[in-house]
Amino acid sequence: MKQILTTIFLLLFLLSGCAKKSVEIEMPPSASTGPQVESEVQEGSGIHPLEGGIEELDEEQKLALMRQIESQAKVIYFDFDQYTIRPDQMPKIEYNAKLFNQPQARPFRIKVEGNCDEWGSDEYNYALGLKRAKSVRDALVAKGVAPERLSIISYGESNPVCREHTRECWAKNRRVEFELIP
Amino acid sequence: MRVLLFLWTAFAALLASDLTLEIVKEVGNEPKIRIENGTVEVDGSLNRKFFKLLVGDLTVAAHFQVDEQEHIADFTDPISPRLHDGDLLLRYQLYYDDRGRLSARMLLYDLKRQQELLKKAYTIGDKERYPFIAHRIVYDVGKALGFDDLSFLRSFVIFSKYTGPKQADIVIGDYTLTYQKTIVTGGLNLFPKWASKEQRAFYYTDMNGERPTLYRVDLYAGKREKILSGEGMVVCSDVSEDGRRLLLTLAPSMQPDIYLYDLQQRTLQRITYYSGIDVSGNFVQDGRRIVFVSDRLGYPTIFAKDANSRAVERLVYHGRNNSSCTTSGDYVVYSSRETNNAFGPNTFNLYLISTKSDYIRRLTANGVNIFPRFAPDGETLLFIKEYANQTGLGIIRLRYNKSYIYPLYTGKIQSIDW
Repeated sequence: MKQILTTIFLLLFLLSGCAKKSVEIEMPPSASTGPQVESEVQEGSGIHPLEGGIEELDEEQKLALMRQIESQAKVIYFDFDQYTIRPDQMPKIEYNAKLFNQPQARPFRIKVEGNCDEWGSDEYNYALGLKRAKSVRDALVAKGVAPERLSIISYGESNPVCREHTRECWAKNRRVEFELIP
Repeated sequence: MRVLLFLWTAFAALLASDLTLEIVKEVGNEPKIRIENGTVEVDGSLNRKFFKLLVGDLTVAAHFQVDEQEHIADFTDPISPRLHDGDLLLRYQLYYDDRGRLSARMLLYDLKRQQELLKKAYTIGDKERYPFIAHRIVYDVGKALGFDDLSFLRSFVIFSKYTGPKQADIVIGDYTLTYQKTIVTGGLNLFPKWASKEQRAFYYTDMNGERPTLYRVDLYAGKREKILSGEGMVVCSDVSEDGRRLLLTLAPSMQPDIYLYDLQQRTLQRITYYSGIDVSGNFVQDGRRIVFVSDRLGYPTIFAKDANSRAVERLVYHGRNNSSCTTSGDYVVYSSRETNNAFGPNTFNLYLISTKSDYIRRLTANGVNIFPRFAPDGETLLFIKEYANQTGLGIIRLRYNKSYIYPLYTGKIQSIDW
């Protein structure tokens, strides 16, 4: 099974890698410019710059760092009833892949959460959310995020960010978000 | 010749009691029933609600012309021989017994023959469960008159309702949802499914751990047993007639497919193999076939297959989004989006088909009609209707071609089972 999965991941990586090379994207803040938390850690505790590990951070700092990385991740939006990633969302995938592969993010696992609008049936909507999460997960793997760091879950229509009954609102709810877990 | 063929087909189908045919009964044949309330000591609110429940139950039973006016009478008074406006009289009284328990007594009387047909008394420990007394009275009335089984009135409904973001409780109620009791609370609890027709236990998905987990809850023993957990998605979609096999939607490789789980052997058999979405497996034809929802055409619609065969048969050839279905015997009811406009009016309607014929019957005409679920009797259907910014609980009596809507004040329902 692992061999099959590895083959699929490699194939997706190759396909996705070939197709998206020319896309220009906004880059996440690099480690040298430093997220807020990292500089606070350096000043507050005198710890040297974090190079690929956060063993020195206590639980609270770790949590703050996780929430900060999460807040930088870009939400991926989907069309009605669809789970393929739209071309206009691909730059966000690339951005997120780079964000999650930054040294200070690497110790964390990433929960990829699929969400749906209020339309659709109970079970189908959860499956749709799952497929959206899987599409994003596969795209992140293709962009170099280690597959063992990624898990997926669907919240169906249970976690809306917008509650109005409008097209714009429904579009905001058809999304994939990310939660970092230790 | 075609006309003759059509007539013969229709007649043969009627003989076979095919629910896919619209049966138009003659209006006015049902006995007219009058209701007399002899309640004195029970508070007014409960008294009024109880009367409305009786009227609703008698109407939904589809065997009566119900006089909806509340007539007041002393329960012990003799029946007036001058009552000729009607065929039947249902007289009842609510009261509290010596131990303070809510009780009721009823009398069913044939006005034409001047004859008592049934006299019974009922007591319930939990006052909040008073709707079940009303349902039981009408069930007994139907039984005394020899009408078709009205056991759907007494069946519990179980549903999951959203209480906040990533929060959903599991609630049990009567079929009108007048009575509601929360059974599972805290976090996200989804997809409740009765474990058998006896409704003593149910399955549900707990989404609060690291992975979704399927539990079985025994309501009477108060025990919760873990069945299995898995990556991404674990849902119990259907339970076999004997309660020994479950149709599950699982995603062990992050791919939602349908699996058959044998509870005694504890074995899993994969039923569908498709790289898109396969969900909502439901047994049909005595469990020999499985109906399910798949997006293998690019949009969700209804398919069927044998458990041990790879061949898949498409069952529905219309609609752009047929994403929910329920089965009973050989029948399938599904919701279908009628138009290509995702958010236009007249959005989702319910249809009834049989796996043994090509008949198709539209069950609803307007609004958003979703979550169809067969009652254990296989002839009554429950669904949720949204129309003109209102939400209702719909009941369709398939054999009698009648439907009813109750107002629903329960919030957004995630999933429901009857």
